[in-house]
Amino acid sequence: MSQFWMAFGFGLVTASVLAIAAVGLSLQFGITNYINFAYGDFMALGAYTAYVFNAEIFHLNIWIAMIFGSVIMGVFAVLINQFLLSPFARRFNKSFYVLIVTFGLSLVMLNLVYSIWGANNRTYSMKLEIYKHIGPFLLNKYQIIVMIISIAIMLGVHLMLKTTRLGKSMRAMSDNTTLAMTSGIDTRRITTVTWFLSGMLAGLAGTVLGITESQITPASGELFLFVIFAAVIVGGVGSIYGAMAGAVLIGLATEISAAYINPAYKLDVAFVFLIFTLLFRPNGLFARPGKA
Amino acid sequence: MAQFWFYVFTLVFFLFDYFILAMGLNIQYGETGILNFAYIGFVAIGAYVTGAVSLPNSVGTAQQYIFGFNLPFPFSLLAGGVAAMLLAVVVAAITLRRLRTDYLAMVLISLSLVLYDVINNYVRLFNGADGLYNVPQPMAGVLHLTSNAFVVFFACVTGVISLIMWAGMSRITRSPLGRTFRAIRDDPDVASALGKGVFRYQLTSMLIGSFYAGIGGGLIIQFGGSFNPTAWLPGETFVVFAVIIVGGVGNNVGLLMGALLVETLLIHLPAFLPDIPGHAGLIEYIDAMVIGIMLMVMLWFRPQGIIPERVRHFALPAGELLNRDGHSVEAPPETMNNAASTLSASETHEGDRA
Repeated sequence: MSQFWMAFGFGLVTASVLAIAAVGLSLQFGITNYINFAYGDFMALGAYTAYVFNAEIFHLNIWIAMIFGSVIMGVFAVLINQFLLSPFARRFNKSFYVLIVTFGLSLVMLNLVYSIWGANNRTYSMKLEIYKHIGPFLLNKYQIIVMIISIAIMLGVHLMLKTTRLGKSMRAMSDNTTLAMTSGIDTRRITTVTWFLSGMLAGLAGTVLGITESQITPASGELFLFVIFAAVIVGGVGSIYGAMAGAVLIGLATEISAAYINPAYKLDVAFVFLIFTLLFRPNGLFARPGKA
Repeated sequence: MAQFWFYVFTLVFFLFDYFILAMGLNIQYGETGILNFAYIGFVAIGAYVTGAVSLPNSVGTAQQYIFGFNLPFPFSLLAGGVAAMLLAVVVAAITLRRLRTDYLAMVLISLSLVLYDVINNYVRLFNGADGLYNVPQPMAGVLHLTSNAFVVFFACVTGVISLIMWAGMSRITRSPLGRTFRAIRDDPDVASALGKGVFRYQLTSMLIGSFYAGIGGGLIIQFGGSFNPTAWLPGETFVVFAVIIVGGVGNNVGLLMGALLVETLLIHLPAFLPDIPGHAGLIEYIDAMVIGIMLMVMLWFRPQGIIPERVRHFALPAGELLNRDGHSVEAPPETMNNAASTLSASETHEGDRA
């Protein structure tokens, strides 16, 4: 039984990372209505940017480096949207084109990371922390901080969506862009802000993934991508709260299964969940009408 | 000198092989509008199965794999094609019926990553991360070919196979089946309103495309004698997309052109360049970035590709209908004309309209 609870604890950590990533992807999808296939590489680039601040120049504390990394990724995402994705989305009314462009962007970004930092694993410079028993769980300090960060972000996103003008505009746009535009919402500005948030969360998720797995590789984001997709589809594409719930479900499922099957396949469990969701509830557990 | 021809015919082989792969993806994406981001997975299954059935039984060898039937050449290749089709049936049954284009793409890219993960980790299937090797070179023993002569011989065999498959593909794209595919690509709702079972046609298209993927993959393992997970990283799918988009979506001649430009000139030629000292693999990374950027530039400035899809006109001149003998008759019923113009409108490719 203790093995189960230990796995449950690891599951909560994975769920925390996954939730940050899934919310970032979902926010952007809700507004622009196309999937960003380069999202995993946004994560990797964010992780490496934080690595630069943490281990190559300035030698900042990892948490401060993480904030720098995610803000830079936010700006990067805005630029990518401004000069690449949004022109394609405006020009072609079929989603094929912009999807292929994001797919190509993923190839370019992955190889950019490879050519700058090489294929070797990197580790953040941070103090080693021993694992301690906390209740039935076995966690270290960094994992607990990651969980707290994740909960804080979820609360922040929730408050933003429900109480601020920006959040309300975002929800309106994701329901019906044309209607939002005619109601006087500056859709371009909202799109830009959303890309900033999405890029920031991607950078943050990439860095905390590197912290919890205690290494970063150029392909780590890309390999994590289908787990994010699983969380997003299980939760219902475009639904922010669905993405949070999906992240918790998939995070727990992958880690708990690792206690019973060969851990090499633990991420593939996410795909099994995805397939079952598609078979029995194709719109996801928390589907919004008209989005599937 | 022999070395030089070895390189040239290696390039020729990859040109024809990627022509086959491009035709397979083109019928799925270019003709039917299925954004198959898992395409390289089907290629890999074709390669692995071709290799595993042509190898002898794995007991007593250093490798682990299933099958091991020692099948001779054309049959092993066909087995690879059929295996890829079987995968397509399973995938299509789960995903095609209910999903919008972009969800489908999400699920397929996930499938590609999971397939990669499982084959890499489950050693008993296709020898895991080491992949299959020592796959017998087809007919090299019978014809007493040296390894250089084999490259020339097999490049020509691949050329012949690709021509046969080209002929088959041209028949399909010109047939009513091909027209229905294009109608579904341009607007699935209109196609289904005209009584076409969209799912059935998409499934057919997936099957045809996967067969081509399997054959193309099988040829790769027969040519090189080995195949392992580094040969089919998920990004490889993008290369095939680049081939068809650069060459011209929906145009088989364009695909050959795309295969020449992207696969031969951009991927395999730089592989012969010497490495930059101290930066192992840098050329490869820059190469991949160049392909990605080139594709975006191409999509923006010439989305129809180098050789665009022919715009096909099937509508009769306004107010005319043909009678049974092929002569035009009077009296144009309004509805007939509308249906005809819908079909002809559906023949215009998206890129031309934009």
